[in-house]
Amino acid sequence: MEQVTITKERRIPTSGEVFVEIGETVTPDTLIAKGMVPSQEIHELRLYRNLNLDPTSVKDHITKHVGDAVEKDEVVAIARSFFGRQTRMARSPIDGAVTDFSANKGRMMIKGHPVPVEVYAHIPGIVRELYDNEGARLETQGYLYHGIFGVGGETHGELTLAVESGDTPLTSSEIKQEHSGKILVGGSVATLDALREAVKQGVKGIIVGGVDQKDLTYFLGYEIGVGVTGGEDVGLTLILTEGFGVNPIDNDLYGFFMEHAGELACIDGTTHIRSRSQRPEVIIPNLSL
Amino acid sequence: MSSDKRGKFLLVDITHNDTKAILIEENKITGKSKSPTTVDEPTLDVTIGVQDAIKKIESEKNIKLKTENGVTEDVKLLCSSSASGGLHMIITGVISNISGESAQRAALGAGALLIDTFSKDDKRPSYKKIAAMRQTKPDILLMSGGTDGGATSQVLEMADVIKRSDIKPRYGTEYNLPLIYAGNVSIQDQVDAVLGTNGYALKMVENVRPLINRENLGPARESIYDAYMEHVIIHSPGYKNLAEWTDERIVPSQAMVGKMLYEYAQKQELNILAVDIGGDTTDIYSVYNGVFNRSLNAGIGLTYGIGNIVKETGIDNVLRWLPSSFEERSVRNVIGNMMIKPHENLTSEERRIQAAIAREAIKIGVTGHKAIAQRLKGVVTERTLGDMFEQALEPTLLNMMKTQLVIGKGEAFENQTIEDSTLILLDSLQPEGVTELYLDPENMAASLGNLVSHDSLTALKLYADSLDFIGTCIAPKGKLKTGQEALRIDFKDADVSQVFKYGELTVVPIKTMEPVDAQIIPNRLDVGAGRGKSIKRTLRTGKLGLIVDTRGRPMTQYRQTVKLLPFEALGRES
Repeated sequence: MEQVTITKERRIPTSGEVFVEIGETVTPDTLIAKGMVPSQEIHELRLYRNLNLDPTSVKDHITKHVGDAVEKDEVVAIARSFFGRQTRMARSPIDGAVTDFSANKGRMMIKGHPVPVEVYAHIPGIVRELYDNEGARLETQGYLYHGIFGVGGETHGELTLAVESGDTPLTSSEIKQEHSGKILVGGSVATLDALREAVKQGVKGIIVGGVDQKDLTYFLGYEIGVGVTGGEDVGLTLILTEGFGVNPIDNDLYGFFMEHAGELACIDGTTHIRSRSQRPEVIIPNLSL
Repeated sequence: MSSDKRGKFLLVDITHNDTKAILIEENKITGKSKSPTTVDEPTLDVTIGVQDAIKKIESEKNIKLKTENGVTEDVKLLCSSSASGGLHMIITGVISNISGESAQRAALGAGALLIDTFSKDDKRPSYKKIAAMRQTKPDILLMSGGTDGGATSQVLEMADVIKRSDIKPRYGTEYNLPLIYAGNVSIQDQVDAVLGTNGYALKMVENVRPLINRENLGPARESIYDAYMEHVIIHSPGYKNLAEWTDERIVPSQAMVGKMLYEYAQKQELNILAVDIGGDTTDIYSVYNGVFNRSLNAGIGLTYGIGNIVKETGIDNVLRWLPSSFEERSVRNVIGNMMIKPHENLTSEERRIQAAIAREAIKIGVTGHKAIAQRLKGVVTERTLGDMFEQALEPTLLNMMKTQLVIGKGEAFENQTIEDSTLILLDSLQPEGVTELYLDPENMAASLGNLVSHDSLTALKLYADSLDFIGTCIAPKGKLKTGQEALRIDFKDADVSQVFKYGELTVVPIKTMEPVDAQIIPNRLDVGAGRGKSIKRTLRTGKLGLIVDTRGRPMTQYRQTVKLLPFEALGRES
């Protein structure tokens, strides 16, 4: 395998702050940009129902006003009756802020707090270009290998061989405590138990020849659809080099992984099969440059 | 339709794998050839494959067709293309099932593959729309929204989302993404102010939904063809040169398939349903009462889209079509591998799994098609007492009892025998009444559809000749107990009657092409005239013969053995 120049566009989907400069050297954990996006959570509270009042009377009973921050379960309106012996209350269903109140309709809108979005470098390299308020383009030298299918997003760790050869199955007994934070190279197939044990031990990623499609479905908890992956939150990133079922890793490829064992590997399971547009990748950056 | 004076056409259709050339002289196909498509690496020049295909015809016929900068003057070159996955589009609207749906129909009718649809009312917040739009990399964006003089702020909000998304076209950043605005015409200036100078090649056309009760798809569709030619195809490797060889537009293949089917249905005065299952898409075309519709299920197909079929339908629905000896674990692995690495040669096990998957793909496709092939949404319709009886306000135009002709085409049928292809069509579509079944093995619809505008009569004749007629299917609607008499067919000229029991699939292998006059007498079932009412038909028999499917509708038996009725029973010879 030849070393190549690898570029990565790192952008957030909103305007925010960019924390790097052109020419700066970054590590995989360098924060490139951060921004806030509006919350999806919007709740309309019909306070007149909670308080059992005429809608026009609600305005006299609210405890939070437009612009006020509220916490989940915090009281936003209260009404007492029968000389204070009976109390009715309305509480906020989320953390957020009051964005609107209709005095005529007795309704209140509460919107969740903005959600932070961040993008990290993922690979070590040099900042070559900045995208105003959104991020940067990074460049590095290293080895780039594309697998055939993957799940899970970007992660990085030390490349570690977990089995003795490319045709040995990766079972749970091969996963050890010392594999925490590592990218493991398995053999012909990763069993369901091995995947679950790897998550338990904190393994960051597994590169393996194959996996039974049924085991992967159980591991994910749902069927994989059109072959667009990467957003799975399953505790590790899995990259298949050959396909579904028992498939020994190609000898040359296993040799390549053996040669680079102990080095940093930045992997991404994101796969977009349609139009063959994106396959999972393993980057082994050349840190000596 | 006009008939071109020269009458000599060279039709070229460029698909993902093959470049096909057809020479037509004096209303006949006089030459056909096929070469590998050369859009991808290492060649990266579509004209190499086209030249190669033309050369094959030249050497076979010992004639000259190709010149240095095109073709000889006596021949007209017409090109269609679906290489590189066809025309990738995204559409935006304000209300997904009003303006969004009209834009969808315009794009699908123009042969597009919709890679995503966005609307003001979809569940994604703006930032997620922006993130998704940035990932799409389409060829063309069609923006709709608002009736003329209607919605303004929502349309402009969508324009702002598009602006902020900074969507890049599929073939690189050195040109601007074609953006066709086909929404509220009264705010074209405001849309132009937002999008006109922001990296998009913006073009304004008439509204696809000028009124809530009227659709106007023509201008948007034409504009898609123009943008495809002017911006998209020119950036595909070698297409710029190819475009100079012909004075006609290079058009999306799927649009020409639709054009051919529409013309065929109109001239034959038939209702047609055609299914085309490819690698990552399932296209359904229909023409009912002169209304054409195309629906496309992107991500439902036999290679890249195969996993989605299992996801949508469930593995049990796939396994029900397979012998019980097929284990779920191995079936899943075969399906998974078909998704991630398309196979060239299928084993018999893979072929059976593909046939099972194809049935479910068609079922999903037809469900999607029902939603497209219907009346305009958002229109308040008055329902009279008469409508309730006449079913004039059926939710969809698609009606299997009124479907006279079914055509199967695409990858799903290429790897199957004619018997298995027939079963795929019967099991998935469940035709009702009397339906003629066809396969399109030659896959010439795109090329001949391109010919329609120049010589429609020749196109129609050649298309009819290119279809493989499987046979006529008689399938009564309704339910009885298994083994009860379902229907009787009286074959008039042979003076023979045959009874068919409920719950069977029978093939009567009458392979004569002579039509057979018959009376079909159902027992408490419906074959088109109502429950228990008989009909008279002239039945045409095809490659398989006559197919009688008395498994009931909706069908509940899956692993059905086909019963072959000897021809002697009908007093005929093969």
